[in-house]
Amino acid sequence: MRATPAERLIAGLTVGVLTAVVLVPMAWALVTSLKTEATVIAFPPTFLPSPATLDSYAAVFLQRNFATELFNSVFYAIGAIVLTLAVSVPAGYAASRMTFPAKRAVMLLILATSMVPGVALLIPTYFVLDAIGLLNNPAAIIVLQAARLVPQTIWFMQNFVDAVPVELDEATEVDGATRWQTFSQVILPLIKPGIAAAAVLGVITTWNDYITVAAFAPNLARRTLQVALVNQVFDSIGITWSYVMAFAIISSIPIVALFLVAQRWFIAGLTAGAVKG
Amino acid sequence: MVASSKADVTSISRDWTTPIIWFGPALVLLFTVTLYPTAVVVWLSLSRTRYYDVLGWAGVGNYVSVLTSAAFWDLTLNSLIYMIGSLAIVLPAGLFAALALQTMKRGASSFRVLLLLPWTLSMAVVGCFWLWLLNPSYGPISYAMKSIGLTPGLMLGDPDTALLLLIVVTAWWSFPYVMVLMSAALQSIPAELYEAIDMDGGGFWPRLRHVVWPHVDATLGSTALALSIMYLTLITLILVLTGGGPIGATSTWSFEVFINAFRSVDVSPSAVISIIVLVVNLLLGLVYLRLTGRVSG
Repeated sequence: MRATPAERLIAGLTVGVLTAVVLVPMAWALVTSLKTEATVIAFPPTFLPSPATLDSYAAVFLQRNFATELFNSVFYAIGAIVLTLAVSVPAGYAASRMTFPAKRAVMLLILATSMVPGVALLIPTYFVLDAIGLLNNPAAIIVLQAARLVPQTIWFMQNFVDAVPVELDEATEVDGATRWQTFSQVILPLIKPGIAAAAVLGVITTWNDYITVAAFAPNLARRTLQVALVNQVFDSIGITWSYVMAFAIISSIPIVALFLVAQRWFIAGLTAGAVKG
Repeated sequence: MVASSKADVTSISRDWTTPIIWFGPALVLLFTVTLYPTAVVVWLSLSRTRYYDVLGWAGVGNYVSVLTSAAFWDLTLNSLIYMIGSLAIVLPAGLFAALALQTMKRGASSFRVLLLLPWTLSMAVVGCFWLWLLNPSYGPISYAMKSIGLTPGLMLGDPDTALLLLIVVTAWWSFPYVMVLMSAALQSIPAELYEAIDMDGGGFWPRLRHVVWPHVDATLGSTALALSIMYLTLITLILVLTGGGPIGATSTWSFEVFINAFRSVDVSPSAVISIIVLVVNLLLGLVYLRLTGRVSG
């Protein structure tokens, strides 16, 4: 497409305005987190913090439950993605490579579960977990989080296995390899970019979740950074905005860092699909 | 060799144990965590309950009482305004952002990363950022409005403006999703088509209408459906920004289900609303499948 200079100018302006719309709210949160308790509520508000201080960040790290909340966030995210991949990668492989009579029914079932919204499951899940005594259970949280990721991860894996030429499987099986050996030694190494992309998406989704943990593991010792953040807003008495902003920023840093790294994986995944012969 | 590999293939297609082993763990997980609770919520919606205790069978009685209550229709109206209002902002914003990025070429990839940032943040974080930006006493937005002579009012605390502001924040957070999918759709347009329309005189609008639109309309439609499902089931952002208030002005179906699930109220009306959300999602999901042409099995 040959854009005229005028079109380029308008495109540049549009991107510039959108970038400002996106960045200014984040910048406001950042400068707020660096202000003192007194200057945060100064009127008229000033943009630059004067004096600038890291007190709020220190306060977040020194908060009594911070280590527990951070640990839970990491633990649930890693646990959920490990469980998701453990059940979805074999299923995605089978969906791509196996034919059997009930396959259509199985795939429709997986599709149907993907359409059940989490909110419709809030009440029955609470009902069931309460009945069997699994409220505030970390393993239950991991299983619940994983179940939300499994359907889309199966399709994702199926697409990546589809992109591997089936002749590769046949060649290995002619050499006497079992199905498991073909899967683990031929397929798995080739679908690594897909696994990485699914893992990154799953970790971001689980880390950012508030509802599941707030609903089914509200206990102080079980809650995550996201739940702690929202609870601070509710405890509006004695709320310090510089502290809330510092907390929100700290809780986002791992995810934003992961996202910046993930750009590469997405490109790798797209190229793997495009190279397919 | 050929004969034995043929025999192999047929034995696999008759063999039930192999696919069960490979699919089994995923199916067990989806049965216990998704399908079984779905059956439970259907049962709860048809039961007489006190809190979480089931007292007996109610049949469609719960459905009748929910569907005939004015409160339910207020929630329905809010849910629809919220969904349609958010779509009305994010679809054009995402499409034009993708078009602008495609046109500018140089530096586009860095700007794309910057513009994607809101979508990576959690709803809790986005809610906190905007709660502070929209603070009526100390926030920069109310200050800016006052300094140009406008009356900001209570912002999120005003029943007349709360839903609109909720929509604006939702759009800020979710337009990057549209942008990414539109960028992918734009890349599928062959360069020759642009050249052909340029020869006919070109121009932005003819190009948008005759080259871009026919290639992105299906993607835009499926994106709209995926987002509709998300907006209809979204809770956290509403919880942080308004808590469903003031006086229910921003309460939606899903928000109502969440709030009532942990309050000391009868659970069956919320179960009914859960089923309604489920059915609407299934319908939107089926249209989505039609549009994306995803064939199962």
